[in-house]
Amino acid sequence: MRRGEKLPIHNRIAVLRAERRMTRAQLATAVDVNPQTVGALERGDHYPSLDLALRICAVFDLPVEAVFSRTEFTPLSAALYPAQGRDAGGTDR
Amino acid sequence: MTSAQTTPDSPTPGNPIARYQAYRTRRFLANERKWAGRLPGWRSQHRRRALVVNLTIAFVAMFAVSIACAAGVWWAPLLWLPACLVFFPAWGMLQIVVGRQGDAPSDALDEWEIQQRNAARSVGLSVTQSLMMIPVAYLVVGAVITGGTDENMAYAGGLMALTVLLVGGCTPGMILGWTRPDPDPLDE
Repeated sequence: MRRGEKLPIHNRIAVLRAERRMTRAQLATAVDVNPQTVGALERGDHYPSLDLALRICAVFDLPVEAVFSRTEFTPLSAALYPAQGRDAGGTDR
Repeated sequence: MTSAQTTPDSPTPGNPIARYQAYRTRRFLANERKWAGRLPGWRSQHRRRALVVNLTIAFVAMFAVSIACAAGVWWAPLLWLPACLVFFPAWGMLQIVVGRQGDAPSDALDEWEIQQRNAARSVGLSVTQSLMMIPVAYLVVGAVITGGTDENMAYAGGLMALTVLLVGGCTPGMILGWTRPDPDPLDE
């Protein structure tokens, strides 16, 4: 497939999978791919098609932008608790 | 993709190509189930690369036999048998440990596997086309020089062409065997 500049697609699959205590094999079965392909996605060796991305998002019941991003994800804990001096909801005290 | 979904890229269901592809996929998946757990000790990258090296040695030996035949060595064709004794077991084992994905039907693979298979096949086609120029040039030039009367030349040209076809046909599987990483315990 001819593309222009290859832009990265980062994902949170490994974190979301661990959070839900799913193995790669379980996620692979849920989205109908081989477990090695889930590993390749988690390592960033493979960028998913739109179809596969949507199937993965459906498993986690999350919007695409919560699972895939052009920019690197910050840790979920940092997203929930952005900085000292802020409460858990992220608002200033 | 292992499901039998119809996508915009799929041939129209019911046409002969679609039926043949469905038949190939069923056979492939049945074979995959049969062979999936075989040769567990040969699935590491190190062992797969050893098989690829063995195949390369067999191909070099086959090509050397064809050259010896061209030189008129009467017993040279007998050396084809030892080369086959290396080739067939190594190729069979490599096909098992890479899941025959070099020649798998698309409906039996997911998108990452299809991407890898297509890249390996593309290299295989280039290798076949490039190497096939050797026996073609040998036969064409040789036929002109000898007036088409040299049996050794024709026999050697046939062996060269057979070797090149084997190399090209096996290249996708060899590439997959060489490049696939070690099995990840997390995939289990």
